[in-house]
Amino acid sequence: MPDMVSIGQPQQRQFNPYSENGGTILAIAGANFSVIAGDTRQSEGYNIQTRYAPKVFRLTDKAVLAVNGFAADGSMFVKKVKQRLEWYRHAHAKDMPLRAIARLIQTMLYSRRFFPYYVYNILGGIEEDGSGAVYSFDPVGSYERESCRAAGAAQSLVQPFLDNQIYFKNQRPPPGTSNPTHLPLHEVLSLVIDSFTSATERHIEVGDGLEIFVVLAKGSTTQGLENFANVQEMTQTREGERMFNIRRNLKRD
Amino acid sequence: MDHFPTNWGRPRNDAFDAYGTYPIAQRPYNGLKDAFAEGVQHTQQPIVTGTSVLAIKYKDGVMMAADNLASYGSLARFKDVQRLHPVGTNTVVGAGGDMSDFQYIQSLLDGLMIEEFTEQDGHSLGPAEIHEYLSQVMYGRRSQINPLWNALLVGGFKEGKRFLAYVDLLGTTYSASTLATGYGAYIAQPLLRKAVEGNEDKLTEEEAMQILEANLKVLYYRDARSLNKFQIAKITAAGVSITESKSMDTTWSFAEGIRGYGSQTQ
Amino acid sequence: MNSFANRFSTTDHLRELKRAQANIEDDEFSDAAWGSEAGFGSLAKGVPTFSVPAVPDPSAFLRLHTDDHADPKCRIKIQHGTTTLAFRYKGGVIVAVDSRATAGSYVASGTVKKVIEINPYLLGTMAGGAADCQYWETYLGIHCRLHELRNRERISVSAASKYLSNLVYSYKGMGLSMGTMICGWDKTGPAIFYVDSDGTRLKGDLFSVGSGSTFAYGVLDQGYRWDLPDEEAQELGRRSIYAAGHRDAFSGNTCNLYHVKEDGWHFIGNYDISKLHYDGPDNVDGAGYGYDVRVGTRS
Repeated sequence: MPDMVSIGQPQQRQFNPYSENGGTILAIAGANFSVIAGDTRQSEGYNIQTRYAPKVFRLTDKAVLAVNGFAADGSMFVKKVKQRLEWYRHAHAKDMPLRAIARLIQTMLYSRRFFPYYVYNILGGIEEDGSGAVYSFDPVGSYERESCRAAGAAQSLVQPFLDNQIYFKNQRPPPGTSNPTHLPLHEVLSLVIDSFTSATERHIEVGDGLEIFVVLAKGSTTQGLENFANVQEMTQTREGERMFNIRRNLKRD
Repeated sequence: MDHFPTNWGRPRNDAFDAYGTYPIAQRPYNGLKDAFAEGVQHTQQPIVTGTSVLAIKYKDGVMMAADNLASYGSLARFKDVQRLHPVGTNTVVGAGGDMSDFQYIQSLLDGLMIEEFTEQDGHSLGPAEIHEYLSQVMYGRRSQINPLWNALLVGGFKEGKRFLAYVDLLGTTYSASTLATGYGAYIAQPLLRKAVEGNEDKLTEEEAMQILEANLKVLYYRDARSLNKFQIAKITAAGVSITESKSMDTTWSFAEGIRGYGSQTQ
Repeated sequence: MNSFANRFSTTDHLRELKRAQANIEDDEFSDAAWGSEAGFGSLAKGVPTFSVPAVPDPSAFLRLHTDDHADPKCRIKIQHGTTTLAFRYKGGVIVAVDSRATAGSYVASGTVKKVIEINPYLLGTMAGGAADCQYWETYLGIHCRLHELRNRERISVSAASKYLSNLVYSYKGMGLSMGTMICGWDKTGPAIFYVDSDGTRLKGDLFSVGSGSTFAYGVLDQGYRWDLPDEEAQELGRRSIYAAGHRDAFSGNTCNLYHVKEDGWHFIGNYDISKLHYDGPDNVDGAGYGYDVRVGTRS
């Protein structure tokens, strides 16, 4: 059985179809909103390829997808998800609900179980019941609904900060009070901005620009957005959910 | 079952799992294949190669530069190769990497443009469409593990808009106001960014030309696979124009004084 | 010469891969991607098809690129689940799991649901590749429902688990990894089947799967009896997961506890393993499993 002998044999040098393009993404769910953010730097090794390559994409008026990992796989994956959502729209004359998009993403990722998309996905948006939601995925499609998640290069820097500030991990509330279960929009936005400025300081693959998507449930106010310049409304339907985009600069060094 | 979590999710390897219960005689194997190995051998490395391509945005459009050399390993094999390829009237594609793959891409693009032309529907492919097409071709080939071994720049000007973007053998894409492939990404890109970023709407044609020529010279001094004979393409509202091959003068006397650059052994 | 055998044999996994490779040439989704099945992708068709890299040895490719403790350069980290247990006793089946997912040494998540609710009467547990378990147990759920529609009766635990084990066996050698217990209550009473990605399928009263299984078995074996009262059975499951969470680095965070009875499964609760250590399941100061027992009056 010549095939059994693999120890000590040289490994054939082969074309590596994967690369890693840095950057970090992050999403936080509130009671009736969801915030999805990503930096805009794209790099390979120590080279900054471009300072503006978006990683966060509007899928529908109530769903936003952030992708991180290998940029070519990421943009191809987003393209395919958007195509499937459009087919759904043609068949059903409505947008696919968020939890269904989450399951769709699972099956699409898993169909490449043996040749994975090297992409970490975070899906954020509003559920049919009006609650803010975040779904996070691994490259082959295992997923989970959470209330906050960071992924990508600075995941290990950002996630512990979020655990502490959102889940109040290792924090004891002052006597007689309890920790809030959901934070208001303005506090969430401050946490997102702080996460990225800090990640920019300590991780070389993070920086240049920050793009934040805010999805608001039906009937909720825009309170918390008024303090920002460069807020752009992206709502396209009149279902009631509203979507906003905020752009900010991060350090470019 | 293997209960150690970091081994989960990946196929077994005999080196680590000699006692696997797997009953089929054929086990996954990484070594050399025998003479009867099935399947097609795909391009696994570039053979005749071109080096850097540089491109910048300027006031009137986009300018792109590449030298005329196609190397065979370290041999300067062909010295009159054009690496800037016009596509239609609004686009130029510049290529580094394997030249035979680039020739294949040229024939693809020419075929595509003919097909589009025969439609006679009043639409023509602009730089954005050419870039999208190329990125799909490149990504498709990498997904078949049979890549076209190139780094391509697509520059163009259509309907008053400048376009400049990159795509490579992995299907990775991006755009910026200055782009450089190969060694240019290390050596020229910082210089280009310094000269161009923020001045895209101010740089004149002469200034843009000067910037690119200066960068080609810098590359020629350090990149051993480059040549001092090059072409520059400009894409503006007036369409595409690619210069004849030009040579530049270089001085090497300074090399004597630089340790590790000239012929010193110590 | 093996390559000749490969080329002409009809059963080995390379053959399977070749067939899958031929499939990707076809349209990946066909008509099923449209219409009402649009949301469910490849699951809508009979047998899902998978893209496979066009290399001579696809499983070596996957081994090269997915995570490996020996080679940190492998970038694709697949999430891993870790301690799970289930046991059968007179009052039904107790299923208890931890909730930690690791990618290398990073704790990727502390809130994973490792009990997969296949239908109101069937539970599956998750150890191994999180996506493998989630996907195939969801797929199993579809087929259990089809069985109900075709046969006008619920599928037995035995049949459901055999469906799964046959399914994963057909992918043997390609890198699937799941160690799961299919638990439920059918005509024969409470039942547990252990199914893993090697194709093993075992009927039994008591199983634990994952890197923390040895710690769980220690507690489980010491406390297990057929005629445990419900309260004590639940406590045994909880205590066993606590032990694994305490001693195994790849297990921890919280414990999810389920009880399968004749009328289907019931979710009992989610318990923080650190809280179990100090305060116990009823959250009483000093009633923990680990702290006061060790420290006693010394603190």
